[in-house]
Order: sequence, then C-alpha cells, then structure tokens
Amino acid sequence: MQNIEDISKKLLDLVAGSDTPREILKSVELKQLYGVVTTLPVVERGAYGKRVNELRIALESAVTAREAELEDKTVETIDVTAPWDKNAGPVELIQTEQGTQHPLTRELENVADIFTRMGFDAIESRQIDDDEHMFGTLNFHENHPARDGYDTFRTEEGFIPPAHTSTMQNRILKAGKAKLEAGGQIAAVCYGRVYRNEDVDATHEHTFYQCEGVFVSKDATLGQMLGTLRSFFETYYGQKLKIKTQPAYFPFVEPGLEFAIEKPAALGGKPGEWLEMLGCGMIHPNVLKAAGIDPTKYRGFAWGGGIERLVMLKYGIEDLRYFESGKLQFLRKF
Amino acid sequence: MIISLNWLKKFTEVNMPVDELATLIGARLVEIEETINLGEKYKGVIIAKVVECAPLENTDHLNLTKVDDGGVTVGVERDANGLVQVVCGAPNVKSGLLVAWLPPKTIVPNTFGKPDQFVLDARNLRGVISNGMIASSRELDLSDDHEGILEIQADVKPGTSFASAFELDDVLFDIANKSLTHRPDCFGIVGFAREVSAIQGRAFNTPELLLGNLADFENLQNDQVSLNVSIDNPDMSDRYLAVVMSGADANKQSPFEVQTYLSRVGVRAISAIVDVTNYLMMLTGQPLHAFDYDKLVALNNGKADIHVRAGRDKETLVLLDGRVIELTPDDIVIASGETAIGLAGAMGGSSTAIDKNTKTIIIESATFNLYNLRSTQMRYGIFSEAITRFTKGQPAELSAPVLIKAVQLMTEWSGAKCISKIAETYTGRHTEPTLEFELSVINDVLGSEFTAQEVVRTLQNVGFKAEEVRLKVIRTTAPYWRADIHIVEDIVEEIGRLNGFDSINPTLPTRDFTAVRPSDFDNFRKQVRQILVRAGSNEILTYSFIHGNILQKAGQKVENSYRIINSISPDLQYYRQTLSPSLFELVHPNIKQGYDNFALFEINKTHQKSDGMTDENVPVESNMTALVVADKNKLSSAPYYQAKRLLDYLCESLGIKVTYKQFEKESDSPLTAPFEYRRSAKVINQETGKLIGIVGEYKKLITKGFKLPEQIAGFEIKTDELFNATIGQSGSYRPLSKYPASERDVCFQIENSIQYSQIIDAATSALLGVGLETSIVPVDIYQAESSATKNITIRVRLTSYDHTLTGDEVTLVINSIITSVISATHAKVI
Repeated sequence: MQNIEDISKKLLDLVAGSDTPREILKSVELKQLYGVVTTLPVVERGAYGKRVNELRIALESAVTAREAELEDKTVETIDVTAPWDKNAGPVELIQTEQGTQHPLTRELENVADIFTRMGFDAIESRQIDDDEHMFGTLNFHENHPARDGYDTFRTEEGFIPPAHTSTMQNRILKAGKAKLEAGGQIAAVCYGRVYRNEDVDATHEHTFYQCEGVFVSKDATLGQMLGTLRSFFETYYGQKLKIKTQPAYFPFVEPGLEFAIEKPAALGGKPGEWLEMLGCGMIHPNVLKAAGIDPTKYRGFAWGGGIERLVMLKYGIEDLRYFESGKLQFLRKF
Repeated sequence: MIISLNWLKKFTEVNMPVDELATLIGARLVEIEETINLGEKYKGVIIAKVVECAPLENTDHLNLTKVDDGGVTVGVERDANGLVQVVCGAPNVKSGLLVAWLPPKTIVPNTFGKPDQFVLDARNLRGVISNGMIASSRELDLSDDHEGILEIQADVKPGTSFASAFELDDVLFDIANKSLTHRPDCFGIVGFAREVSAIQGRAFNTPELLLGNLADFENLQNDQVSLNVSIDNPDMSDRYLAVVMSGADANKQSPFEVQTYLSRVGVRAISAIVDVTNYLMMLTGQPLHAFDYDKLVALNNGKADIHVRAGRDKETLVLLDGRVIELTPDDIVIASGETAIGLAGAMGGSSTAIDKNTKTIIIESATFNLYNLRSTQMRYGIFSEAITRFTKGQPAELSAPVLIKAVQLMTEWSGAKCISKIAETYTGRHTEPTLEFELSVINDVLGSEFTAQEVVRTLQNVGFKAEEVRLKVIRTTAPYWRADIHIVEDIVEEIGRLNGFDSINPTLPTRDFTAVRPSDFDNFRKQVRQILVRAGSNEILTYSFIHGNILQKAGQKVENSYRIINSISPDLQYYRQTLSPSLFELVHPNIKQGYDNFALFEINKTHQKSDGMTDENVPVESNMTALVVADKNKLSSAPYYQAKRLLDYLCESLGIKVTYKQFEKESDSPLTAPFEYRRSAKVINQETGKLIGIVGEYKKLITKGFKLPEQIAGFEIKTDELFNATIGQSGSYRPLSKYPASERDVCFQIENSIQYSQIIDAATSALLGVGLETSIVPVDIYQAESSATKNITIRVRLTSYDHTLTGDEVTLVINSIITSVISATHAKVI
C-alpha cells in the first residue's frame, strides 16, 4: 500500500508540471499497479484494487484541471478598446438584409400602438408574481376550482409565473385610482408573457403572450366594452367586422363573456366563420374593492386575449412551437 | 360533460332545429365543444324477432337462427318465409326473443368512429351464411355486459329501428365544464333544461322530483332499524341524510331505457342499485353514495352510527380502488362509529363496498365543503363525475328531494324496501338572499333598455321569485339551487345572458381627447430592436426557464435561480439569471442547419434571487438585452471585435457614449460569469461611470460545453441602464462649415501594453478648446511578428468655421496632439 501512496504522489506531481498531462495516464507505473492486483491474496485484492481506482480517478481529475490550466495560459489578453485586431482591417457588420424582428414582438408593438391611439396606456406584464396578484385580488377563493383552469407553475417560495396578464389588473387599478377619483378614467392595456403547465404540441405552449385591457369610469357599460373591442379589431384588420359573444365564467368579471369576430376577408374568412379572440366582462365589484375603488361609484370592463393567435392567422403559421424555437429557418421569413 | 337533447326534451320543449339550438346555447349559456349525432352510431340497427333457433351442426356453442325483421332490410338474402339467417354464439339465444340485429353493412356501434371501426357483412361461418350479427349490450355500447345477446323486453314490432324505439336517434352536446364552474345546477339535466327553456324565452316547470320534501315521505319510512347520522365538524358539511333499505337485489338491472340514457352521457349501467345513484346524479347534479349496511354496522358493534368529521393524523383508509391513503385533517371522512369508511364526496372505502351479496344498503345524500373536497381531489387525484359535481357546491336543499326519489326508484328497480327513518343532520341551513335594485342598474351596466316587466319575466323563467315592488324597482329571491347569486351584478349577468348579450348595441366610451403615447421605455426597446435588425441581427424569444445544467455550464449558481417545483421537464426548471445561456443553446443547431454567419439577440426579463424583492414583496425583475454573433469561418479580427462593432453601432445609433474597460479579475456575478475576462470588457456609461453591461468572448469551458464555434462573442447589457444613458441626450449637431476640411495621418509606435484608447483619449484632450470641428478615426493597427511594439495610425480631420485652415495652423494642432500622446504613452511618431 505504501507503494501506491508513493506512486500517487509522484504521478500527481508529474501532472502538475506537465505540458502533456494526459500522457501520464498511460504511464508504466499505473499499469504495474493494476498488474499487482492479480498477484495478491484474494482477501487483500478488494482494498488494494479500490485504492488503485481512487488514484486513477484523482489522476484523471488532476489531468483535466491541468489541461484547463494550460489552455487558460494560452488565452491572450486583447486590447478591448481597439476598433479591430492588430494587422486586421475594419470589422464589417452583418448584411442588413439578414436582420429580422421576431413576429411576436412586431405584433405586440402593433397591438399596443392601436390601443395607445385609442387612448389606452400600455405597460408590460411581470414574469414572476405572487398568489395575491395572480388570484387573490381577482376574486378567486383560495381553494376555488376556477383555479384549476389556469394550470399554474409555482416556485419553491410560492411565487407564480403568471398564467394570465390579469396579474397586473390590481396594479393598474391602484395606479389609476387617483385619476379616476379626480374625474378621469382608467384606460390601460398590459401585454406580456404568461405561463401554463401544459404539454407542448403544435397548438399548445407552456409559454405564450397575452394582451390585457382595463377600462374604468363612472358610467362604463357592457355595450361600451363590445364597442371598444370591435373598434380595436376593425382597426387591426382594416375592415368592418361582425362580432358575437358567448357567456363564460371568470371569477374576476360579472358578467363574463367570450368574444368572437367574424373571420375577416383578409384572412380568407367567409360569412358564418367565427374566430374566438378573447375573454372579457364587467369587472367584478370585489376586484374594484381590492384596489380601493368604490364599486358603487365606478364601473369598468376588462378583457384579455392571446397574441400568438393573431400572428398565426396573419401569416398562416402552422406550429406554435416555432415562436420560441430560435430557428433561423423560421425567423428569417419575417 | 355530455348533455343529451332527448333527455332535455323530457323537461322542456325545443322547437327549433338542432344547429339553431346549439348556437343559442353557445350565445346564452355555455360553449358547446362538439355536437354529436348519436343516431349515426345506431344507423341500420333493427329490432328483430328470433323465429327459429337450432344448434349449428359440428359446433359446440353456435346456433343457426332465422330472424324476422319485418322485411325492412333491403338487399339481404331471405328464405321462403322472408326470414334472414344469422349465426349466433350467445348462450341465451332462443326462439321468440326480441333482439337487436345488425344487418350486413352496419357498423358495430361500440366500434363507431374508432380506428378499428367494424363494418359487418354476410359471411360464411362453418359452411353456412350468417347475415350480420345479433348484438350484445356491449356491442351496442350500452354496458359492459357481454354474457349474451341483449334481450329486448319492450313491446315493439319486428322491423322497428333500434334507435327510434329507444330514443337513441339523439343529439349529444359536449359541454366545456370550465364555463359552468359557478353553476352546480347545470351539472344535472333538469338544471340544464331550465336554462334551455329560459333562453328560448319560456318559463320552466320544475319537475316534482326536485320539490319533494321529507314530510311527504313519512308513509314510506319504517323503523325496523335505527340509524343515526351526525356532522361532527359543521364547517365540513351543511347537511347529511341517509336511509337504510333492505331486500335490494344486487343482480337486478335497471330499466333498459335508463341504461341507454346513462350510456349516452358516458356512464356505464352496472346494476339497479348503482344505476339509481348515477341516474339521479346525472338528472339533478346531486351525487349519492350507497354503503353495504351489514358491513357498516359490523365495524361499530352492530350499530348504524354515521359521523362526518375531519380526517385524523396517522389515520389510514383503504379506498374502493384498493389504494391505501393516509388521511389529513383537511379531508372530510365518513365514519362508522370511530372507523373511517369513506372519503366524503370523493370515493368510498373498500370495507363497506356494495358487492354481489349485498342485501341491505344505506343511501347517503349530502353536501360537503367544496374547498375541502377540492384539496382532497388534488391530493389523491380523484376525478369522478361525483366529485366534479360536489366541487361546484351542490345546494343542501337538493339532498332531501333527491334522496326521496332514490328510495322510490330503488324500490321500483331493485325491489328494496325502506327499513329505517330518514336520518338527518342539517346544520348549515342557508336562506336565499333577496335583492332589491333599480331597473336602471341593469341598463346602466349593460348599456341596454330592458323594461321592468322584461327583467321580472326573465328571472321568473329560471325559477327566481321576482316582482316590480315600486315603479322601476325590482325585488327578487333566487331559488335554492342558485348559490351563485349574491349581488346585483349576478342579476345583471342573468338578464344580459338569458336575453343574449349580442342584442346589446355596441358603443364607444365617451372620452376626453387626451393623447396617449407609448411609454418612453417601450419606444426605446422598439428602437433598440430596429437598430439591431438593421445591423443584420435576428431577434429571438426563448423560454424564461432553463435546465439546471445550463446554469452550471454557464458558470451561474443554481441556488441563485427561482426553481419551479411542478415543472413539466427538467429543461424548464429554473428561472434564468441572464439571457446569454439561452442564446448559446441556439448557436450550434443553427450552424448545423447551414447558417454560417449570424447574430441572434433577445430583449427580455431575467430573475435572480440575489436581486431581492420589490416594495410589493415580489422578486425584482431585470430587463436585459443580449446578443451573440457567430461565424463558422475564421475571420481576420478576433470575435471580440465583431461583438464590439455591433455594440458600437447600437450605441452610436442611440447617441450614447460608452467606454470599454478591461476586467481586472474574474468576477462571479451571473452577468460576467460566462465571459473570458482577458478578452471581454465592461461597458461603461461615459457620462455617469455606471456599468451598462459586458461585451466579449466566452470562457473556453462555455464554448466547449455549448459546442460553440471558435468565432463567437457577444454582449449582454442592462436595458434599463442603456435607456437611462439616452435620457437627456440632445444630439451633437453643429451647423455645417462652409470651409474645406484638412486631414493628416499620424502613426504612433507604442509598447504592446498601451491601449488604443489611451492614444485616442490623449489626442482628444489636445483638441479640446481648439475651436475647430474635429474628428479622429483609426486607420491602421500594425504589429510586426513577435515585436514588443505596435504601430497605431490615426487620421485627424480639422475644419474651421470661419476660414480655410493654412498648413501651419494644421501642423500646430497636430503637434499638440503628438505632444499630448507622447506624454501620455511614451509613443514614438514614425
């Protein structure tokens, strides 16, 4: 055994000083140690063999470390302030035709642009939030089955990657309260990433984008909500559109609706073909109360819908998974 | 949930085509996911009479039958008497039976629409022709019974279509459950029919079965055995009712028509006892449970004493499906005396399960706290029809009439008799709220013009008490099955929905003409995107979550990332701390796809635990912009300069002045972790000295780990800091000079260790205060092989605003530059 310790020290020292450390793994000494195992009495073989293996593992990690050290030494410091490398010429940019903007951010800009022109402020949604904003302030009871529909992820600390942009609603309402009480209105849209614990396929993603809208005034009506949404889609598609609704249940609105438009001619739509675009409704009094707004004095409406849908319809994109794939094959088409 | 149109029609009239009804339900009640024509499934199935039946020679169990189909089937071979020959292997086939015959060319119903859909024909079986087949209940997709063929007991003429005889020419609506989460009443056919009646504008007559009360039930009760029920934890159950019935025959079947109705809504007929509970649940939404009485009392010294209570620590229960679970105080337990025998509302226990030998049963009708049930459901993964209904909050008032009906049906179908009184504990009696409101409230919220009369009628149609108590003031009380009605907004929903939201006129809000512009930060990000795209880069979006390995490979500490505890896959387990690692992952796949030269960038948010919390006590979010530029081929300059060139372009386009500073030592911040410190620079806001980000090449370990090409570099910058740097930038425009410019090149020889910026800084400082328009651009950086010095050539351009510069004037300025550079860097001019 003493022999092993001696050889171990010698080989490790060799590795530390070697320029070609991997060669030492093939050394005669190591091979001989393995050779000795078969000559020992059976009872000693186990312990001896184990010790030799430990040595080999120690050697290998020393070799890897030494290699990294050697490689590190070859790293040359450069003049980071220079415009280009010595003996080289000016650096060219990549050809501008290769550049592309992501279709989703382009659409988000477009949607936000229309709403700002309609008088809505636009803010971005959070990507990590708490239960209170995601559910609590939105009239979801702690153990209510309505939460099931959201398939939320959770972190160890209990934070939630938001499953809807409504996670910003309470903040929008609180921020607008003073303006409202001074005789104004709250009008804002909020866009951003949302997350659902869903298996991914061509039409399902665990990560997608939504745009949320909130409007509160002294005299908001459901008719105004329908008018506002129709006006947005008519601007977006540049044509007159028919709309229809169906009742839906979301705890943070009452009444709650699903909103559909007749498929625009620009998308090859025929009369009678409908596209479900978003969920909407009159803001539930409890949601206003949670933001300190008196529901007996003010009323509002809110809506939220996906962005991918708009983009897929616009370009005829067949697979939702492309958006976050980073494939140049896909990106360079836009 | 499946809703059968024929079943609806037993409770309400429908006088419009199916597609119109479906559209109306969609617009005024709930989304229909699919409309299924059940008649298609039974197309061609004929009720026939077995006229002759004799064993088929040389077989051990087959019979050769001749059936009378009333002569209705076309294109089938018949004998002289017009009978059709069918071979049948069922043990119960005999002459005189009425059977369901599937002629050739019909589809076997239980294979309908499936990949292995089976179409019958006339084929040779052991030397004789068999025309189609005689079907069992399983082949008809009605139950799992495959012991023999279905024996039809009804009084029907041979030749009648099977579907029309049993109302199977039906239409099924597949309903999206999630839109009815708040409507327990709609989880029963009766409740759904009430809505269907009202959306057609008609009042609904609530059937007797929902109105029965215990007082009328006295004559059916008996007190041969005593039964006690108590609710030990009143917050867990509002009401618990049970009754004992004996003489139940567990082998008896429910009426055939009931079996067909159960099967079409997705429930298998099992036995009369079980079918009673399922049938009433489907009809009313109230789940029932049956215990084996003898087993139950055996667990408690022969006494029937049922308790509803919380689960106890360390208490275990064997469920019907054989699972052994450890109960929690959050679970609602049904106990016989002290012994837990069932998970209330979720699943019975195996110790009191009904089996073939069961003679005496206890039927339970109760309500349980839906929030407890929901956590029980999630904890043990129980998704039955019953718990789906219980977790919507079935009303306590419903449990008595349903139990009374259950007793009646149990007697009719299985022959059982009541041998106890109905035992009841009703601790959670609610009074239905009465709401009084002005008509204007409804019309103000909806933007509609309903009259008081219309509002009153709409409410009455769905069973509300409603009247106009004063001019344009309405008072209404919701029926007991509408626990979702609490506030006037709920009434608004009811009026808008039942009359159709689509009948409301869309208008636009009246608003001030206040212009709104996108936020400056949003505009800025838009600008950054456009600039980088103009520079040939491709914007990407990648997931916010990454694999722990990626963090490790990037040199970032896993414990600094928020971890998702219920992630779909390890690939999506951690919040990313910076964007760069997500970009690294995309370089190799794109090179493999044949892209040799590209730059990818992402503008997004990142999260690190070390950034702490906001005022709202949620994690701080950072806005980042990252880019990688990759080339499969080796370029003349180091990759660092590619990335810097792009960043320079971005900063110049934004009008931001930055300086690049070498790192002094390795830093372990997540931002710098992936970068090789000797070939990277900190990007500093020239004005404020604040760190904007990092630009440079990556560590060798990273290029290896992510299979990156040699020619790779990038940057990651704090979008907010970059944005801050643009605030207050007013541009550096000066009017153009009318006089010509003079240019001179100067070449400095310097030590290798001297940086390019030192020369530029020294030269620039010499130009301060000369009163000229000036610019300095690099021309050449040269180093002879293994030389200790390098030559840097710069071009100085000078223009006066008021005259043409003379040669002497230019020389004077150039000399001051040279002096300044020499004193700063010990350069030699060559």
